[in-house]
Amino acid sequence: MSKLLTVRDLVVEVPSRRMKIIDGISFSLEAGQTLGLVGESGCGKSMTCYAVANMLPRGIERTGGSIEFERDPSKSGRAADPTIAMIFQDPTSSLNPVHTIGYYLESALYRNQGLKGNDARLEAMRLLERVGIDRAKSRLRAYPHQFSGGMNQRVMIAHALAAKPQLLIADEPTTALDVTMQAQILHLLEELKAETGMALIIVSHDLGVIARLADHAAVMYCGKVVETAPVADLLQRPAHPYARALIDCMPSIDPADLEPPVPIPGSVPLLDSLPKGCHFHPRCSRATGECTALFPSPSAIGRVHEASCYHPVAA
Amino acid sequence: MTAPLLRARDLTKAYHHKTGVFARPTSQLAADSISFDLMARERIGIVGESGSGKSTLGRLLLGLTSPTRGTVCFEGVDHDDRSSQDWIAFRKRTSLVQQNPLAALNPQMTIGEQVAEGLLVHRAASKAAAQERTAAMLERVGLSSAMMTRFPHQMSGGQRQRVVIARALILDPKLVVFDEAVSALDVSVQAQVVALLRSLWQERDLAYVFITHDLRIVRHLVDRIAVMYLGRVIETGDIRAVYEQPRHPYTRALLASVPTIDPSIRNIEPPIKGELDPDKVSQGCAFRSRCPFAIDRCTIETPLLRAFGAQRAACHRSEEFAGPMKPQAAAPPRKELA
Repeated sequence: MSKLLTVRDLVVEVPSRRMKIIDGISFSLEAGQTLGLVGESGCGKSMTCYAVANMLPRGIERTGGSIEFERDPSKSGRAADPTIAMIFQDPTSSLNPVHTIGYYLESALYRNQGLKGNDARLEAMRLLERVGIDRAKSRLRAYPHQFSGGMNQRVMIAHALAAKPQLLIADEPTTALDVTMQAQILHLLEELKAETGMALIIVSHDLGVIARLADHAAVMYCGKVVETAPVADLLQRPAHPYARALIDCMPSIDPADLEPPVPIPGSVPLLDSLPKGCHFHPRCSRATGECTALFPSPSAIGRVHEASCYHPVAA
Repeated sequence: MTAPLLRARDLTKAYHHKTGVFARPTSQLAADSISFDLMARERIGIVGESGSGKSTLGRLLLGLTSPTRGTVCFEGVDHDDRSSQDWIAFRKRTSLVQQNPLAALNPQMTIGEQVAEGLLVHRAASKAAAQERTAAMLERVGLSSAMMTRFPHQMSGGQRQRVVIARALILDPKLVVFDEAVSALDVSVQAQVVALLRSLWQERDLAYVFITHDLRIVRHLVDRIAVMYLGRVIETGDIRAVYEQPRHPYTRALLASVPTIDPSIRNIEPPIKGELDPDKVSQGCAFRSRCPFAIDRCTIETPLLRAFGAQRAACHRSEEFAGPMKPQAAAPPRKELA
């Protein structure tokens, strides 16, 4: 399979404060595959997405590394790059409150597919129905405040689909939603992936969401990828102590399992005062002297399973 | 038998709203005939989707909003009979922790001032003693006493929630309502707060109501659970009994919706479609429009809570949900009853 996206040694910085938000991460994604990015708040998951989508906020710059896309040989310039769409955590604040849902979708259809008038309206209705909003015709005249969070997230997905993306980036798409709505949105994403063959980058702090959707997962901590593995390997045989700890702090719903979740001691260090060596060592029970000296380079655990740790957890 | 700490009877709260200038106001029941007792040191979880009336119930219990019908009685005194002096005493003995700690904290006051404020307002301690107790309380919730001079914006989300918990517990309340207290936090920080709440409960004379939509977390924090749907309690009972053998299709759907870290569970249909629809609750079971097991009887007769061992459920077909849950087979096969 060809690589749709290859990220090499990506560095993202706040130049004014000389602070590295993302410090040399590499990953790749094949067409139609799903990559899960997992980690605690502030580990750089969202910034990685913004860098890939080329929409880093002002004051934050990519200062190193490369992001390469598979280019369409029949086109030239930017048009040859794959189309990327993105959805966010808080759908209600991502939508403009003064525009109707119909205006929002139809303008996206005009921009991306050149559809106008009735064609655009019909396509907008089809998209709304596809993402599970019934009575689409009357709903096109509705405003975001008239919708629930789950419905607005569906609208965001419909808007993303209007671009016919080859890559959809979903940044914590279900974090603000109820469990029932989360199950519905996750299933919708599964279906759309199968239908359109688009690749997906899913970001979440919840390993349950990653387990459900991702083929391959990257665990991030303090701007670095500390472990990458096929998702089943990561969940069953995590190598990095941080990945192990993230799994242990997931509460289970199995009534026979009475153990409460095991918290990770301490907290994520601030980016301007990162510990030397492996950033996780102050919170890690396996840390030794060498962990405090130099950040470990990734070593192979399995065939496509790598972890940056001097003392990986035995399988 | 000892008297309950808190007794709610037939609690009902109606909200009225108009859809247009000339439209007739419609009313919606955010809480509908809810009754339960909470003993001292008991922990109850209230779960349901957004809009099910969980937060309204929490506010009714604390007297932050008055019920349309029904009563709340705390330590033998009815909310309706409280004088303003009684209300002050009640406020001293109860507390509320809300979802968004940044909104709950005053941005212009230091952490120390905010945590100590309750002690000073209720004249429970001198200024010097309040300082000391605040420092001790902050250390107890896992923050250093050096944090006292900081402001909320200088802290992380998890630290802020610890501050709110410290502030809620500084007066040693008998009852705390936690309204989505951990929902906004990362899974790893959630686990820390869960461990903190478990140990704080161990060492105190504290009862609490834990409101959440997260069925994974609540299990480790409460003894009893009540599942709400559009203002009604549709299933309640011992936490273990309800999780092992949910008797209401809504509870089963909620449990089946929780994503697990088992990567073999994929591409499963969502257990229930749609979301809460308050327009459909005139008669019969409010859940029937989304229920895969609805029968004719559900449209006519509103199911009442019926006892099944350590739990009670409000469903006409509860007897059929006898087996434990499996992740993929969330419910028995559909069958129409005459």
